[in-house]
Amino acid sequence: MRWSYLAPRLTLLILLWAFFFFAFDPLLKRGIIKGIEKGAKAKAEIAGLKTDFLHASLKITGLAIADSKEEYRNLVEFSELSFSVEGAPLLEKKLVVDSAVLKGLRLGTPRKTSGKLSFYKEEPSPLVDAMVAESKSFALECAADVKADAAADYKVDPAELESVKLARQLEETYQKDYADIASRVDTKKYQDGLDALKARYEKAGNEKNFARQAGDYSDIAKEIKKLTSDFKKDKEEAEASLAMAKDAFKAVEEARRKDMAAVMARMKLPALDAQSIARMLAGPVIAEKTAQAVKWLTLVRKYMPASARGVLKNEARRGREVHFPKEKSYPALLVRRLELTGETGLEDPLEYSGAIEGLTNQPQVYGRPATAVIKGAKGTRRLDFNVSVDATGKVIKTAFKLSCSGIQVKQLRLGSPSSFLVDITGGVGIFEASLKTTGEEIAGKAAARLAGARFKPKADNIKAALLRSAVESSFAGLSSAVIETDISGTIKSPAFDINTDLANAVSKAFTGAMGAEVKKAQEAARKKMDEALKPYRARLDNMAAAKQAELEKKLKDAESGISGAADGLLKKLTPGKLKLPKFL
Amino acid sequence: MNPIAILRQFFQGLTAETSPGRIGAGITLGFLIGLMPKATLTAQFLIVLLMATRVNIPMALLTVFAVSLVNPLLDKITDPIGYALLTSEALRPLWTRLYNMPIAPWTGFNNTVVPGGLVFGALLSAPVYLTGRRFGVFYNEKFRDYVINSKFVKGLKASWLLDWYFKGGV
Repeated sequence: MRWSYLAPRLTLLILLWAFFFFAFDPLLKRGIIKGIEKGAKAKAEIAGLKTDFLHASLKITGLAIADSKEEYRNLVEFSELSFSVEGAPLLEKKLVVDSAVLKGLRLGTPRKTSGKLSFYKEEPSPLVDAMVAESKSFALECAADVKADAAADYKVDPAELESVKLARQLEETYQKDYADIASRVDTKKYQDGLDALKARYEKAGNEKNFARQAGDYSDIAKEIKKLTSDFKKDKEEAEASLAMAKDAFKAVEEARRKDMAAVMARMKLPALDAQSIARMLAGPVIAEKTAQAVKWLTLVRKYMPASARGVLKNEARRGREVHFPKEKSYPALLVRRLELTGETGLEDPLEYSGAIEGLTNQPQVYGRPATAVIKGAKGTRRLDFNVSVDATGKVIKTAFKLSCSGIQVKQLRLGSPSSFLVDITGGVGIFEASLKTTGEEIAGKAAARLAGARFKPKADNIKAALLRSAVESSFAGLSSAVIETDISGTIKSPAFDINTDLANAVSKAFTGAMGAEVKKAQEAARKKMDEALKPYRARLDNMAAAKQAELEKKLKDAESGISGAADGLLKKLTPGKLKLPKFL
Repeated sequence: MNPIAILRQFFQGLTAETSPGRIGAGITLGFLIGLMPKATLTAQFLIVLLMATRVNIPMALLTVFAVSLVNPLLDKITDPIGYALLTSEALRPLWTRLYNMPIAPWTGFNNTVVPGGLVFGALLSAPVYLTGRRFGVFYNEKFRDYVINSKFVKGLKASWLLDWYFKGGV
């Protein structure tokens, strides 16, 4: 027996086996935990992980990811995730999972140990902060002292107004945008192109070979048509870009509304309109929920390729990868179907089940959007959740719908401690929301309907007896409420339009109690603020109108020059102008 | 090929099997491997070829290391060659067929520096081999004895494990 030959080979085999048996799974588990912790910015735990190389499968049990915002709460946890990788695509460097199973998925569960990672700090949500600040600045405490001439002594400083600051900033931005747009419309490029085509036409005119001349003329005609169509495209793009730049002016109106609220808060004037009261009552709650939804959406979009070019992006560390047509194409990573089960709610959990389909890192290759459908029912409670993420086109489109009915509302607090609060207890609610994003734009609706609830207002901070009793009487005998919100704007800065019958009732009561004095004082304050903003707004509008006229004239002149020259050249190229060769 | 056998071949290459031809062949193969991205089946196949043939291993490994260091510069030559080959209409059916075959994508043939490196390496193989041979003559004359008598090699030769494993054949 040649032990010197066998011993090292056997040792190597034993070492390899020992590595995969004892060390591979713990190392992979550690790697996954570290990866999740980096993404979630909170602790993650995995109870067990088992790989099987014979069947190319992986099973993870007892995964819990802590919430970075709440130390003793889990963001998500599940009892088991298992899947097998298909063998044939693996030979082509593709990881395809035909069917995966995720069991016991639960969100927001409590945890016994702290989930905080000391080296991570959660960034505050500007959206929630802005809504909370707006709610806090809702002034009521001195409403009783309001007199019709309350605004007479109040001076508005334009430098302090957000709308004025924004108008100045927009003026600068618009000028920069205009310079950029105007530089992109390079009329010289088209004029040079036309001159070159004219020269080619002259040269082709001297060609003796009739067939070659006809070919040259045909090519020149095609290029003229392409040049004029390119110019038209550039022109339309420039006009659209300028219109988009002007669209940003709408933000001045929003800033003006905020300034008005701030001025009224400083003058201790209460806002009586239903919209302001609705924002004060439900704004912080809606902003918090929307911020959470946007956070998840951003996370999903982060792992989606930004455009079709993502398929052919250069993934090699050295060189470039050239791709060829595939007879049967697989994305580099694909989970065709992930069956999932779980439960929502802590005290009386509602079980749900569903499936996520088409999870891939190359949606353009797969050609279908990733979808998730989840349903659950228990007694009168229903849960329906649909989400679709379509990254097969140039921009990522997402759509989600959520419908929950039979929700037991144990306690819900609306409003702001600085003005008044409403505690809602013991009702049954229905919540419906639909949200769509196209690129950066967001649009959606959400509605919460409550029935059989008790509404208990806390209006101790309102010193004016008249207003306090107005608030209390608004909620007396109330048992149902509707809160609706329209969401628009962009993912980074969504805008809300909140409506609720609670606010309508409060607004009516306020107006009845002391509407006349407050309204008069408000009008005077609004007039002062508008006067302060007027010169800046006028300057912005005049500048935009002048720049728009300037660009339109430039484009019109260039268009008439290029179209005229191109048409003239095209006329010369018509077959009637061709001199046919004489054969006789 | 286990690590001990590689070690054995490495020492054998420093002290024995140092004919100029073997050194030249080792340097040529090392040059070719050095040009390839290492995480491809093509590079792995060339490494197996290196171990399986009686070329000079240490010189080959040193060449792999040296060429890998200047890869960012050499890629500027191999990348356009590979790109021209991969986008050539005449070769398109071949690449498409390979692209649709199992295992073939692991060779990294569709990465510009792989076909580019193979062609560039093949074109330069003759001059590299001849230069390597001349270096082999120079090494045998000037350095071979110095390496054999070095404390490091002597110390390794004296170790009981290598002595037992190689049966005094280092």
